[in-house]
Amino acid sequence: MEGEFGVPTAPIVTSRFAEYVIRDGHSHGMNLRWTFPPYPVAWVPKETLVEYINGNDPITGNKLMTEVIDALTRPLTEDEKNPKVQKREKRPRLLAPDTEANLNRMFIEKGWTDGLPIVLPTEERVAEMLTGTDHDPQEKVGMMSVTTHEELNEYTVEKVAAIAVMAGARPEHLPVILAIASTQHPSIPSSTGSYGSMVVVNGPVARIIGMNSGVGALGPFNYANSVIGRAWTLMSINFGDARPGDTYMATIGNGLSFTNQCCAENEEKSPWEAFHVRKGFKPSDSTVSVFRGWNVSTLGMGGADAILQRIQSSGMMGSCTFVVDPLAAKSLKEEGWDDPYKLSEYIAGKLGNSFFKPKPEGINFVVVGGETNPIWQSTDYTYYKTVSVDKWVPKDGIKLDKKPIRMPVSKQCEDELCLLGKK
Amino acid sequence: MSSLRFFNWWCRGFIAAGIIILISFCGCEKMGGSSDSDAKDEIKLTVLDPRGQPSGIFGRVGAAGAGMLANRNPDTQPKLSLNELIPLRMADRLPGLENKTIYLIDTGFAGGKEFLMEMQNWFKENMPSVKTVVQVKSGNAFVDSPELWPELKKKADGVVFGVGG
Repeated sequence: MEGEFGVPTAPIVTSRFAEYVIRDGHSHGMNLRWTFPPYPVAWVPKETLVEYINGNDPITGNKLMTEVIDALTRPLTEDEKNPKVQKREKRPRLLAPDTEANLNRMFIEKGWTDGLPIVLPTEERVAEMLTGTDHDPQEKVGMMSVTTHEELNEYTVEKVAAIAVMAGARPEHLPVILAIASTQHPSIPSSTGSYGSMVVVNGPVARIIGMNSGVGALGPFNYANSVIGRAWTLMSINFGDARPGDTYMATIGNGLSFTNQCCAENEEKSPWEAFHVRKGFKPSDSTVSVFRGWNVSTLGMGGADAILQRIQSSGMMGSCTFVVDPLAAKSLKEEGWDDPYKLSEYIAGKLGNSFFKPKPEGINFVVVGGETNPIWQSTDYTYYKTVSVDKWVPKDGIKLDKKPIRMPVSKQCEDELCLLGKK
Repeated sequence: MSSLRFFNWWCRGFIAAGIIILISFCGCEKMGGSSDSDAKDEIKLTVLDPRGQPSGIFGRVGAAGAGMLANRNPDTQPKLSLNELIPLRMADRLPGLENKTIYLIDTGFAGGKEFLMEMQNWFKENMPSVKTVVQVKSGNAFVDSPELWPELKKKADGVVFGVGG
């Protein structure tokens, strides 16, 4: 409005977002004349809004309406007539040397961690991590920001390796972590609604690095699941520049964000084609698929109509992903759903006239679980994309430690009789 | 004689106790690890800066008609480079608001329309010569509304745009 159309404009943003928009505006070369009413303006009585309008801007202390009028009428200053875009300087590759204790403190105090202990990314540790891929350490992998407008931060293979070290990963995990980084999706985008994310690994790599797709797959029982999922959040913090209350505005936050929902699909037990095959990859390909939403609802049971009912009652916003135990998937198959896409089409057709109008592609099913209960978990997660892990794997294969670290694994029973001592 | 013997034993006991205390001090220093940890604390490590580098690429508002989450998806988020980023030249300001037409544009965040309607009431009561029009921006809060800007150019002397957040 201001530049191209020459109409003076007074932008109004609630005071909770004052710093955010002032900084964002400056980074874009916009010296706008903001007015900040108190927060929130949604779901408050009419009398409160009248008080806001007759009251002061809590940021400046000035009368709110005087500011609005001033924004439209006060002559432009020299700075406003000659705006500049602020350019950010590149950072040095290495931090100033310091003791372990001081560096650990600094990483936490600077907000570069998730609050849990990390492994410091020394040059030696990062060099060892880089043996997990043949790619040039300085090769650019992608760009990321947790905001929608601010300058994106780019990152190299070496930066991703540093994040992998911080997360406690080993070189065997690096190709999967690089694949996640290559999606350029932060796991914690800045939404006041508090996003949660999920990453599902398919293909041979999941077995090679010991990922869990069975009992407790989405819980804290597997080294690879945990460090890979954690690395996604650490890269979102450091590459996506997530700073709470500044760039990251999730009002409540999401407990799933520590390690996200990270697991492998239970391809061995699934009655359906593997998820990545349904997305156009070969069974022998290794991939990661990323999903994001807000809610993981409670468990459910039953066939297509039970799933339909869950969606109708959940208030989902256009997409959903069901995490289905293999037993539930088998029941769905027995109900006639050989192909989960047909199930998606059926559900989308039934929802055609409702508020929730998904396309079949917006309803997804992944098979995860250890067959202790024929249930599914509903989420409002949107499936975003599937990318290759293989391009990051060294030509000699995944770099395993001499004795790879593995947590205890739940028994897989071929005939559901393992409690009786049979295979 | 017996007192001399007692004194002799007392001295021996005193010396033995002193040695034990001395040894235990040395032991404590080692067991507590203070000397080792002091040495360890002196070692300086060189670590990588884990943060990404400024790319010179910015996100921008979604195209008209784009989905609500389009600019939250790196594959569909419109971007522009630092070179394309033209500093915003602000419009000349109005000499005053008397008898002007001000459009109050609701961007689509919850509560925005109600807030702007109260602002309209304020103008009616306090600056009755100002004509105000409350209008809801087309599309969702995260996308461009290209048809709106020329319309405002024609109809509005000034615009209040909100309420963000």
